[in-house]
Amino acid sequence: MLNKLLHTILFAVAVSIFFSCSPKNISTKYYYQNEKVLDKIEETYKELSRQQPFTLAFTSKSFKTVSLEIITDTLAYIYEFGVEEPRLTDTLTTYGLNAPKVTRLIQQMQSIRCAWIKNFDYYVDEAKNSLIFMSIKPVALKAPFSYKKYYILTYFNRPQYFDKDGHLLDKRHTRRLRKINGEIFTRINDKVCYTISGKFR
Amino acid sequence: MATVIFFCVITKAVAITKSDPLVADDVTSTQQQAIAFIDAIRQLDTSASWPNIKPALFLQNLKATIHHPISIYPGNGTNFCGYGALTYLLLQDDPLGYAKLMLQLYHDGKATFGTTNFNPSAAIKNETGLLRYKGILDIHPADQMWFLTLADHYKGYLNLFNRNYNPGDEDSFWASVNFAKFNRMVRNLLHYKVKARGADLMRPHVGDIYQYISKRLQTGKVVLFINNRIVHKKNHVSLKLRVPTHFIVVEKISLADDVITLVYWDYGGRTLLQMSPTFFKRIIFGITYCTKKGTDAK
Repeated sequence: MLNKLLHTILFAVAVSIFFSCSPKNISTKYYYQNEKVLDKIEETYKELSRQQPFTLAFTSKSFKTVSLEIITDTLAYIYEFGVEEPRLTDTLTTYGLNAPKVTRLIQQMQSIRCAWIKNFDYYVDEAKNSLIFMSIKPVALKAPFSYKKYYILTYFNRPQYFDKDGHLLDKRHTRRLRKINGEIFTRINDKVCYTISGKFR
Repeated sequence: MATVIFFCVITKAVAITKSDPLVADDVTSTQQQAIAFIDAIRQLDTSASWPNIKPALFLQNLKATIHHPISIYPGNGTNFCGYGALTYLLLQDDPLGYAKLMLQLYHDGKATFGTTNFNPSAAIKNETGLLRYKGILDIHPADQMWFLTLADHYKGYLNLFNRNYNPGDEDSFWASVNFAKFNRMVRNLLHYKVKARGADLMRPHVGDIYQYISKRLQTGKVVLFINNRIVHKKNHVSLKLRVPTHFIVVEKISLADDVITLVYWDYGGRTLLQMSPTFFKRIIFGITYCTKKGTDAK
């Protein structure tokens, strides 16, 4: 009898640990818990990338190595630096980026384990729009059996259309779900959506 | 991780402008001929074969591609990179042929190019013009038509289990290109002799890879099949599959102070990457060397 009770308790504990770390659970809360810092990163990146298009990605597990892609009219340049390396700020300055602000952005991304940020163009009725793509690797998504490790946010410039389940639609009059980077996104608010993915870009 | 080092020293010598003329030697038709042909077309009628293509947008896209071949963009998140690299070569090899092929395909819903007959499926015809969230490919119906037609026509072992198009398959194995399939497409559509080294799962045995590529670039075109997951990491998993994922067309390569500077076409523009020879060797799985027919591939 005691054995049976013990097994039941162990099973219940295992199940609760497993599901408490599941992507489904974290996705409903994560944005609002970290809204302030996430929105700040988005705003800063939007402002800086308007001056000179670039993307940032943390390529090491420790979030100490950053990949910087700078997109000019003629070439895209890909670099990789340690976050403390002076070469990073030298390069930012060379391309006319505000080095102190980008460094601050990198630190903010590091603090919240934001693995990637990119500006992304899309078109509606032939008009160019842009959204900002942010991938985060929250600590809570470290569940041992979970393949989906990244929490991905998209920030749109204008309100979007969603179906009754909150999934992102292409246009108001279409029922077709649209994937971005191979993923279906779900509504957080009119302009921000999320998904959980196995890759950060 | 220690092998992935990109230096920040950029010299003027590697800067190339998008307006650089294409290499004029040995071309089947010239870019000027293609421009004269395409610019003479003022408007197109709607095509019964492609219900979701807007004619004005199609013509605008085709003209832009002929004028600026470098800007051909295979789309964000798609598996069209192999078709993009092939098209970039075709635009240098026979731009007028390309323009005529595209118009024939648009008007008739099928087309013949050399010995190849393209007859895309109804699913392809319905989807063309509707791709979204693929970057500028969203408003490039001519490129959508061409890439989907190529993927529909050419099949390799990666396409075995998904041979018929369903919406969204541009991102899936349906569109994938293995190394042998890429070389088959080049031999089929371009006026090139092809010498391929390497394979999908085996690196090329060519001795010094830098020397090999550098030498061949002087006499022909070089396409590399690389493991792009190392260049553009997608996750933080330590154990990576050693497989190639991406086709790039080499434009320039140089070696100084044990750093290789590679300038290549991919995704609608040129990219400059600096890396160690070890890293360079690690990412390359296939090397396709193309020379005009009539010149022996060495």
